[in-house]
Amino acid sequence: MHAASTGTSTTPETPQAADSRPPEDVSAPTTTATSTTAAVHAVNMTKTIDERLILDRINFTIRPGQYVTLLGANGAGKSTMLRILASLSQPSRGKLTVFGHELTRASSPSLRARIGMIGHQPMLYRELAAVENLTFFGRLYGLPDARTRAMELLEYVGLADRAGDPVKAFSRGMTQRVAIARALMHEPDLLLADEPFAGLDAPSTRMVELMLARLHDEGRTIILTNHDITQSLRLAEHALVLHGRRIALDEPTADLDPEEVLKKVGWTSC
Amino acid sequence: MLMLRQIYWLASKDILIEARSRQTIGLVVVLGVLIIVVLGLGLEPSQTSGFSATAILWVAYLFGGVLCFEKTMAVERHDEALAGLLLAPIDRGAIYIAKLISNLILMFSLAIVVTPVAVLLFHFDLSAALGAFVLIMSISMVGFAAVGTLFSATISSSRLQGGLLAMLIFPISLPLVITSSQLLLRIFRGNQELSFSGLSILIAFDVIFLVASWLVFELILEP
Repeated sequence: MHAASTGTSTTPETPQAADSRPPEDVSAPTTTATSTTAAVHAVNMTKTIDERLILDRINFTIRPGQYVTLLGANGAGKSTMLRILASLSQPSRGKLTVFGHELTRASSPSLRARIGMIGHQPMLYRELAAVENLTFFGRLYGLPDARTRAMELLEYVGLADRAGDPVKAFSRGMTQRVAIARALMHEPDLLLADEPFAGLDAPSTRMVELMLARLHDEGRTIILTNHDITQSLRLAEHALVLHGRRIALDEPTADLDPEEVLKKVGWTSC
Repeated sequence: MLMLRQIYWLASKDILIEARSRQTIGLVVVLGVLIIVVLGLGLEPSQTSGFSATAILWVAYLFGGVLCFEKTMAVERHDEALAGLLLAPIDRGAIYIAKLISNLILMFSLAIVVTPVAVLLFHFDLSAALGAFVLIMSISMVGFAAVGTLFSATISSSRLQGGLLAMLIFPISLPLVITSSQLLLRIFRGNQELSFSGLSILIAFDVIFLVASWLVFELILEP
């Protein structure tokens, strides 16, 4: 985890080389080096919910500092995968390591402290002011001066002048910006962004895009799920496509055409 | 020490939210007073003394308590705030203890309002054994809140919540309610001392459910 007191500017991490495994490869990778150096490494990760198969033997590797977009149709399992990565849910079978540590229900607090998540919902308390929300979560993360850090981040997301207002008084876009600030309070090394643009207007969308780009420039690993494929391919450097409960595509975005991706996710048109 | 601080921040957050919204305490107190008044008006004065009075008080505490447990956990479900807590590097047991403290503060607030109303309506003399009454009810409420906090977290994602929570915790709390009512009855009769075997049952109930809830809370808590 980055030092909490250094504000939003932190020393970028050096991306380390790691092979991306072909999606068809369902055999367990044997290189332990990959799992220890990768930001995220999934080996035959399977998830069933109420006996319904959601993810089937997923294999992929994400390097530290990589900006990855996770694409797929509705119900493909994108959010489920992000919740597993956030340790909010556990894989039914297979293995998932984050920064070399296996994620389990009892994942160590130090590992959880390296992960931040922006979810469908803001994960905030509506009755509390923006600064109170951020200060509260900052204290849970053990930040020495959580209130100062909260004000820095509210400045960063353009809400410093509304810091004392309760979250329930905010628009969807403003709430989302506070949620992003909450996810960044502890300067996570891995940021999971589950449809962060949902319900935002154009200026707010652009602001969030720029924030994510800045975090990527700072060396953080970002995994973004999004329904807008063109936008995702423009923002991220690598794409993982979920289709038929499996990874159907695992390639750099520079090599991809949106139409090709649309076919892979099972859509025939925009 | 760190966990104590986390418990303090978590419980303070609940109290601050309640102080701002005043949703739970208002509902709980109104419900408690209504139960006391309705039962008080419906029963003959001869029926509302001794055991009946303590049982009626317990009815108000039980239903008020269920409402407390539901509302304090609903705060965490709204906007998936609970997921934010589970992402944080804190012991899930700290979340349980903080929620228990929040529930106890609300339940004691309920008792502070409802008990005098019951005393006035049922004309039972609390002053003779005020200390024993407070001791017994406090120990009993800790046990009841321990059970309620655990089960409210377990079923908070269920649509059945209210009815289901009452169905689950009332039978489990029955030994607590019966023992507590019997102890209070002995006190209100005025001629018997506080039974230490009865108190031991209440304390054992508290310890068992506090420890068990602390241990299993991590397993049952799903965002």
